[in-house]
Amino acid sequence: MMSLFEAAWVIARRDFVASVFSRFFVLFLLAPLLLFGFMGFFIYAAEAQDRAASHPVVAVVADSATTAALDATRARLVASTSDQAFPILRPVPPAENVAIQAQRLLADEEGGYSAVLSGTLQRPVLTGPTRVDEFVGRRLQLVVDEARRSAALDGAGATPPALALERVVTAQAVGNLQLMRRTVAQAAQSLIFAVTLMLATLLLSTLVEEKSNKIIEVLAAAVPLDAIFLGKLLAMLGISLVGLALWSAMAGIAVTFFYHLFQNWVTLPQVTPGVGWPIFVVLLLLYYTMNFMLLGALFLGIGGQATNIREIQTISMPVTLLQLMVLLLAMTVVGANGGALALTAYIFPFSSPMAMIARASESPTLWPHLLALVWQALWVVLIIRVSSRLFRITVLKSAAGGSFFSFLRRKPKSAADPA
Amino acid sequence: MVGLAIEARGLVKSFDGKEAVGGIDIAVPEGSIYGILGPNGAGKTTTLRMLLGIIEPDSGTRTLLGFERPLEAAKIVGYLPEERGLYPAMTTREAIAFMGALRGLPLEIGRKRGAILLEQNGLGDYVDKPIKSLSKGMAQTIQLFGTIVHKPKLVVLDEPFSGLDAINQGRLEHLIRDEAAAGTTIIFSTHVIHHAERLCERIAIIAAGRVRFEGLVSEARDRLRPQVRLKARNPDGAWRKALPADARQAGDLWQFELPKSGIEPMLKAFIDGGAGIEELSIERSGLHDAFVAIAGESAAREMEASGQADLGVAA
Repeated sequence: MMSLFEAAWVIARRDFVASVFSRFFVLFLLAPLLLFGFMGFFIYAAEAQDRAASHPVVAVVADSATTAALDATRARLVASTSDQAFPILRPVPPAENVAIQAQRLLADEEGGYSAVLSGTLQRPVLTGPTRVDEFVGRRLQLVVDEARRSAALDGAGATPPALALERVVTAQAVGNLQLMRRTVAQAAQSLIFAVTLMLATLLLSTLVEEKSNKIIEVLAAAVPLDAIFLGKLLAMLGISLVGLALWSAMAGIAVTFFYHLFQNWVTLPQVTPGVGWPIFVVLLLLYYTMNFMLLGALFLGIGGQATNIREIQTISMPVTLLQLMVLLLAMTVVGANGGALALTAYIFPFSSPMAMIARASESPTLWPHLLALVWQALWVVLIIRVSSRLFRITVLKSAAGGSFFSFLRRKPKSAADPA
Repeated sequence: MVGLAIEARGLVKSFDGKEAVGGIDIAVPEGSIYGILGPNGAGKTTTLRMLLGIIEPDSGTRTLLGFERPLEAAKIVGYLPEERGLYPAMTTREAIAFMGALRGLPLEIGRKRGAILLEQNGLGDYVDKPIKSLSKGMAQTIQLFGTIVHKPKLVVLDEPFSGLDAINQGRLEHLIRDEAAAGTTIIFSTHVIHHAERLCERIAIIAAGRVRFEGLVSEARDRLRPQVRLKARNPDGAWRKALPADARQAGDLWQFELPKSGIEPMLKAFIDGGAGIEELSIERSGLHDAFVAIAGESAAREMEASGQADLGVAA
């Protein structure tokens, strides 16, 4: 009899070759481009929409000197913050009755004004509903105060000269480093989550092929079900690693070719994860593998119970939500200093890999990772074992066969041992 | 003394509370061709699946080539399930090699042997053709090659003739005989009696989940006395007193079981009684008659119905 790993290797090799040399693998390789492209477009569109929709416009009904002073002050404040931080000021020539004019402007559909600022710097009047006070009112107050202060200083000839901060450059600031490590932690979690998410449906449906082709009977008669499950998981892991390697290579090429175009605008943050970059990369791969094996074994077990693709489609949504919940749980550890929820995220097997990679980014201690990897590996074995037994009982309509931990025992050699 | 390739004692299996197999005892000698005969639903496939360890019996024991856990003998066993299955995108050679690899045969050797098997059986042009481009019968042949590519000591075939046309059925019979001649033990299930009669040395007749007979084909046939057929010139006369009580007349032909005392005393009585014997023959019972006698009329009718359906496919 072949060993579990030999048998798993035969299954894995077949699945790997069948998938990688399929024309649909190209689509799989394009998936992240589509995913991130869609996400990028969505974020850009949402922000653009948000900018246009949430940036209030204020009509400034004042003489030209007041309007000019307000405009100059706003420009100065925006230069130090952002354009979004202050309402847009649109000058409107004053009419005879400014109060009536303000009412008309607020009712003007075309102008879309949130409020009207009238009067002078010494006696400014803001006309508008009470709800504008929180954002528009407070910021206009700042603009007016600053304009008045400037005007007073200019009048007294006491305007101080421009002064640049004297810079003392340090290697790092702890607060800054913590923030950047959290960003690295979240990026690593997102990467693990996104790649596993892309493969979830594949994992769910992989046994349906065997069942619909009736090959499962041939496989089950030749190798242990545990080996079939493990082989399929390893094949999918291999496929995803090929994908990751290709995506990384493409990203590397893109950076090499295009970085010089952006280097004047983009400064890469100087950050080192808690465990250092080399160990972090190794841990990222290990935790990705564990995350994939844990969720993969679960999905394989769930998918094994389905009889056709329609059932797979039905269970895809709950499975995606399950992944999302696991991600949210794992995200609670980022920036957390202990606590029951963070501890749960570290211990709960499905969130453990993503929680631990965040820890690797934030903390230099290594031993918890060894513990976590062993813990997660135990769960992989457990889930494969449960999934295959469930498959045997419900799909093959068989008693489970053998004790639960029989795979740990060495098999006695028979006199007729073919080996 | 010949050892046993398979030995099963008291195999019982129920599905959802309904008993499918209720105590199967069989013993398959090494190097023999063994048939499991029974109508659809008799429990043949369940029995084979239990023997191979695909499903576990609720009770009973079995050994496969000396192994109590069938999967431990996987490298020296070949299995063709009733529901055939191959990966449609695989080429024929790869499919054969993959099935061999599942049984521990290195892929390279599997590919070489696969190509030879295809060549030897007139399918050399299909070496690199994908399974999905083949006819059902041809795909079944490929799966059969995959079953024997690793040169197993035991080949288990579940309804191997089902779905094959007459030419492929003949080809399969040759292949089974060749494998057996090379020392391989073959066990197959069938609901077509003449396949078992032509190929098997030993059979098990299963009906309603129980073994009704287990032994040599000749022993099954010997369950019925040979039939005597007599045609006499003289329709009446003293010779008729020598006829046994259960003799049946069809036209001028009489038919009855050969008496235990043999034909000679009766023959003398016919001659002395002036029968004027024109024809006299003693015919051994066929397996079909034996099956009817052992499994009952209803099981035989079900077998015939299933067999007709298969012949319809073959035609």
